[in-house]
Amino acid sequence: MELEDLRRQWQQPEKAASPAITSAELQALMRRQRGGLIEKMRRNTYWEASVASALVVPTLVIFLAYNHGPLAVLYAGSLALLTVVMAYYYYKVIRLLRRLAETTGSVRGHLERLYAGLRQLLRFYYRLTLATLPGALLLIYSFFMGKELLRPDGFRTSLLAEVGAGLLLVGAVLQTAVVYGTRWWMHRLYGQHLDRLEGQLRELDEPAKTDN
Amino acid sequence: MATAPSAEFLAALHDYQPLVRRVCRLYCQDADDRQDLFQEIVLQLWRAWPRYVPQPDAKLSTWLYRIALNVAISNLRQRTRRPASVSVEDEAWHLAQPVENSAYEPEETAALYAAINRLSDVDKAFVLLYLEDRPYDEMADILGITQNNVRVKMHRVQEKLRKLLVHN
Repeated sequence: MELEDLRRQWQQPEKAASPAITSAELQALMRRQRGGLIEKMRRNTYWEASVASALVVPTLVIFLAYNHGPLAVLYAGSLALLTVVMAYYYYKVIRLLRRLAETTGSVRGHLERLYAGLRQLLRFYYRLTLATLPGALLLIYSFFMGKELLRPDGFRTSLLAEVGAGLLLVGAVLQTAVVYGTRWWMHRLYGQHLDRLEGQLRELDEPAKTDN
Repeated sequence: MATAPSAEFLAALHDYQPLVRRVCRLYCQDADDRQDLFQEIVLQLWRAWPRYVPQPDAKLSTWLYRIALNVAISNLRQRTRRPASVSVEDEAWHLAQPVENSAYEPEETAALYAAINRLSDVDKAFVLLYLEDRPYDEMADILGITQNNVRVKMHRVQEKLRKLLVHN
């Protein structure tokens, strides 16, 4: 039996025709729908952004209410800067995920967009993760240095150097773990999807490349 | 989803529901997976519907095939992990129920379904559009490749199916 033969029986109407879906059924059905990876990523991003903003704003307000002076300004400024960076990050991620959820284009165009978008998203996430630890350590050190500089007895150069060296050492060890850990985690979560998309794009390209 | 589906959307969904079910039938062996895929396709159709603009040279079915295939092929979800209670062959038998006036034995039809199930998701898209009797220009439009590419690929898919049937 060939595909040609199957075509004839494929298009025969089903014995039991599917009942029409009503508006209420459709809405109920969609409420239950969990969606695929992109939908899950969108939900997670909204959730993360909500939790982050719910924590950051009160923290900033409470902190400024109880602390004054140049160090308090430095702390608040750092937190505000971090908030701006994170807001930009979530804005970019949500915009990208919204683009990835679009399914009206051709199959190849859709696969290309998904592949490029997922890679862009992971690259963005990876860079942000790598920048977080050095940024945090730098912030800790600058707070510590600020406190030392404000000491009435004058700052202790040797202590500053020792803390700096200690943070550098701890930072190097932690950063190595973060690099390998993040790569492993990203590969585990998204590697199979990227490999699959890449393979599918190659499949669509294949005949044109070899036969033209 | 904030707004209720429009009457036009429900009417179109009713008209094209068999088409969506056929896509799900080709892509999912498991009944639960099939239902999940059907819901996901309907969800995407509903989301895209407000942006659908009827054009004289573009059919609604083309738009619909694009969305259904995009969802089915790029179904970026963890594949069902539960142990398969029904094998591919059993499911192929289920799909190959005797059809009135069919010149072929159910065994032959089941073997062909089982062979199709072994194809990749992209190859299944070619098979589906072929079974749906879509012309090459529409296939090219749906898949986003050239007509020549469609011809070559279609030929290769048929060759693959022949080989799979011989090995079975």
